This record gives sequence, structure tokens and C-alpha cells, in this order.
Amino acid sequence: MKIVGVAACTVGIAHTYIAQEKLENAGKAAGHEIAIETQGTIGTENELTKEQITAADIVILAADVKIAGRERFEGKRIIQVPTEVAVKSPNKLIEKAAEVIEKK
Amino acid sequence: MEVKDIVDLKTVKTNMNAKTKDEVLNELAHLLLENGYITEIDGFMRDIYAREAEGQTGIGNYIAIPHGKSAYVKNIGVAIGINKEEIPWETLDGKGVKGIILFAVGNDNEGANSHLKLLSLFARKLGNDEVVKDLLHSNSSADVMEAFA
Repeated sequence: MKIVGVAACTVGIAHTYIAQEKLENAGKAAGHEIAIETQGTIGTENELTKEQITAADIVILAADVKIAGRERFEGKRIIQVPTEVAVKSPNKLIEKAAEVIEKK
Repeated sequence: MEVKDIVDLKTVKTNMNAKTKDEVLNELAHLLLENGYITEIDGFMRDIYAREAEGQTGIGNYIAIPHGKSAYVKNIGVAIGINKEEIPWETLDGKGVKGIILFAVGNDNEGANSHLKLLSLFARKLGNDEVVKDLLHSNSSADVMEAFA
């Protein structure tokens, strides 16, 4: 399946990027296509394209703060968690995402 | 510049024998002061502890990433400590920590975008199990730098 997401933590220096790395690795390891945008101190990076969002089966928001551009995901299935869930249990989070899709 | 260039051999300490979080943070903060990354220990530590109070900086796998934006930071950088024994820390997996990466980032990062970008790529590597394994097995500053290569 195709997963897109956004990672954003309070300070925007560390957890954001660790969450991105862990989610992307866990997603790929489980055989999914995954892209995670980061919103940190440096600004938005790896910005999701319209095409990526349109094609996505599910959206994972790993965020401790209000993310910019949430309206881009309107009408999509969204899982929202704090960044620490993505950092602590990335594999479980990806499994959960797969379950949500299958139930659809 | 490459990601590993964020690592300054002068602000890395391996085989540390710290017993507490405070001890290791103090030692690392001194390295940052001596090498011109921060202007003051006390003010910097207050800002680090302010972030510590907000939530766990132990990300699991024996790694902690104390950080916070601080007006006492002159140059963006990191200090890295590898401790021999586990130190008690607030962590996501309930274990202690052995690898401590103390981030120094200022409040005003005007003109520092290339450094911040490098720092974000560096942080990202801490989410990689292989990197973390190499980091924890480091016996020298050079090993630490190599872990991020």
C-alpha cells in the first residue's frame, strides 16, 4: 500500500527527523511505498506532492504540534499519533495502518 | 559538507564513567563551551532542562537526545558522549542510556540553514538501528564519526 505522512515535533530539531527515518524504514521493510514530510526548525522538507497524497491509501501524522497544510489530507484516512509513538514503535504503527486499510 | 562533519572530534567523549544525567550533561556542556559552541554553561543547561521537562528525550535503544533552542548557543553543533554503563534517564523503552547526543541550536538561526539541514540529516541517522549499534560500540571519537559516515 501507499503511505504518506508528516512528522513534526515541538522543537523541530530531533524527534521530527528520527520519526521520519523510523517510519520510512519500517514502511519499506513491510513492503509499502512510504514518504514522510518533515516540518521542523528548518521548515518543510521532503514536501509531499499532490500526486503522492492523491495516490496514498492512508496518512500518518506523527506530530506534537499543529501541522501546516493539514487540509491537504481532507477526505483521506488519517492516523494521528505523537512523534514518540513513531519513534518507539514504528513497526506497530505501520501494522496498524495496514489494518485500518484492510477494514475499509 | 557531509553529515558526519556535524561531528566535531573535540566535542566527543567515549568510555565515559558518568553515573547520572546531570553529570554527563555537564561534561558535554563543558566540551561545547571550550570549543566555542555555547557562551555559558548555566543558561544553556537551563534551556536543555526546560526541554527535558516537556517529555522524554531517551528515544530507546540506549540513546538520549537532550536538546533545546538556547540563546546561549553561538554555533550549531552536537556533543556526543558514550558512557560505559547505563545511566538512568527518562526513555521510551524504560531502559537507561549509554549514548548521549547533546544538541546545541540557537534561537535565531538566520543564515544557518545549511547547518540546520545537516543537523536534520544527522538527527535522522539516529533513527537508524545500524548507526546506533555502531555508535554504542565506539571506543574513540573517530569511531563515533565513522558511525555517522
